[in-house]
Amino acid sequence: MLRESQAAVVARNEEWRGASATEPYEAGWASEAIVFVRALKDAVGAPGRARVELSPDGMHWVAEGTEFPLPVRAGEVTFARVSHFGTWLRIAADLPEGAALTVLVTWHLKA
Amino acid sequence: MTPDRHEIALALRLADPALSRFDPLPRIIAFDDFDRGFCGWTQLVGNYEDTLDAMHPGYAQHTQAMLSTLPMWDFGSHGGIDGSYALKIATRPQAGARNVAIKRLTFRRRGPIRLEFYFTFKPEANELSLSETDVRSVGFLYDLQTGDRDGDAWRIMPHLRFLNALNGEHVQKWQFKRRTEPFAPVGSANKTVTHYHLAPEGWEDIAGGGQKLCYNEIPTKVNWHYCRFDFDLATMQATGLACNDRELDLGGFDSMRIPAMRNLWCMLNLAFFVETDVDKRASLFIDSVCLSGDF
Repeated sequence: MLRESQAAVVARNEEWRGASATEPYEAGWASEAIVFVRALKDAVGAPGRARVELSPDGMHWVAEGTEFPLPVRAGEVTFARVSHFGTWLRIAADLPEGAALTVLVTWHLKA
Repeated sequence: MTPDRHEIALALRLADPALSRFDPLPRIIAFDDFDRGFCGWTQLVGNYEDTLDAMHPGYAQHTQAMLSTLPMWDFGSHGGIDGSYALKIATRPQAGARNVAIKRLTFRRRGPIRLEFYFTFKPEANELSLSETDVRSVGFLYDLQTGDRDGDAWRIMPHLRFLNALNGEHVQKWQFKRRTEPFAPVGSANKTVTHYHLAPEGWEDIAGGGQKLCYNEIPTKVNWHYCRFDFDLATMQATGLACNDRELDLGGFDSMRIPAMRNLWCMLNLAFFVETDVDKRASLFIDSVCLSGDF
C-alpha cells in the first residue's frame, strides 16, 4: 500500500486579529505533518509568530513547542514541521494589537 | 440449475462482510470504506474568480473533512463499524454553521443509481449534558446534469436532510429542498456564477418523515445508522428513501431544477453536509458509502 497522504486547507482567506487559531484537525493516522501559512494580502503591522498546538480531545490545547514566523508580504509562505503529535493539530497565534493577517493555512499530512 | 451471473454476484457480495451490509444495484460505481483513506471525498469549495473575497460566505466557511477514529474525551476512540476510521465532516462553532464534503464523478449511463451509507452525528462534547438538540441537521445531495446531447438539458439537484433540531426543539424529521436560490456572477470574465443551494430557507417536510433515531445517552456514545436513496438518472426522479427500519414516502418529493450549465455535462456529484444549531461544532461521521448503478 502507498502511504496515505493528504493536503488539508483548514483556513482560507481568514483575517486573523488578536488571539487566532485554525479549526481542530484530526489526523491520528498521520505520523508527520507540515503546516504552511501563506499571506493572501500584505499584513497590517507585524503579525508575529504562530505556534503548533496539540490536544488530547480537540477541545483542550497545549503548545507543542514548535513556533514559526507568520508571513508578512502577500504571497509569502512560512511553515513548520511536526511529528509524533498524537491525534489533534492546530496552529494558534496572538497577533499584537492593531496587527492583522489574511491567511491560507494548509496541512500536509503523511502516514 | 446453473445460477445466473446476478445470483453469483449476489452470493459473492453476501459472503463479503464489507459489502454484505449493503444492497447494491448490479454495478458498484464506488465503494468507499474510510479505513482505506479519503476515497475521493474532499471539501466543497465555493466558486471564485480574481479574488477569494468573491466566494459566497456560505461556502467560505467550509473546511477539509478528516479521517476520524471518533476520539472521545471520556473513553477514547470509538472507531467505525468494522475498522478504526470514518470520514468526519465538522462545522465551525457558530449556530447555523455548516460544512460539506463532496465526491465528484460523471455518469456513464442514465439509469437507476443507489446511494447507501452508514452514518452518525454528534456535537462536540464540551458540556456534561445530553446535547441531543445541538446538531441541527445532517444531509446529502446529488448535483447532476444531463448529457451534452440529451434532449432535456437540465441540472438537477436532489437535496435531503434529517432535521434533528431547530432552535433547540428536537424535531427529528426528514426534509427535502426543491426551491432554487438566485444565481450571482462571480468575477469579471462572465464564466463563473454561484448559487447558495444549501441556504437554510425553503426546506419542506417529507410526508410522514418523522423518525426518532438512536442517539444514545451521553454525547460521546454513538450508534451507526443505515441510509439508502434511490434515483433514476433517466427520468431524473427520486424513487426511494430508507433509513434503518423506515421506508419513507417520496410522493411529494422534488429536486432543484436549473437550466443546464455549459461546463457540467454528465456530472454526478455526491455531497454530505452537517449543520449546527448552537455555538458548538457539530460532526457528521460516515463509516462507508456504496454507490451503485443498474447498467
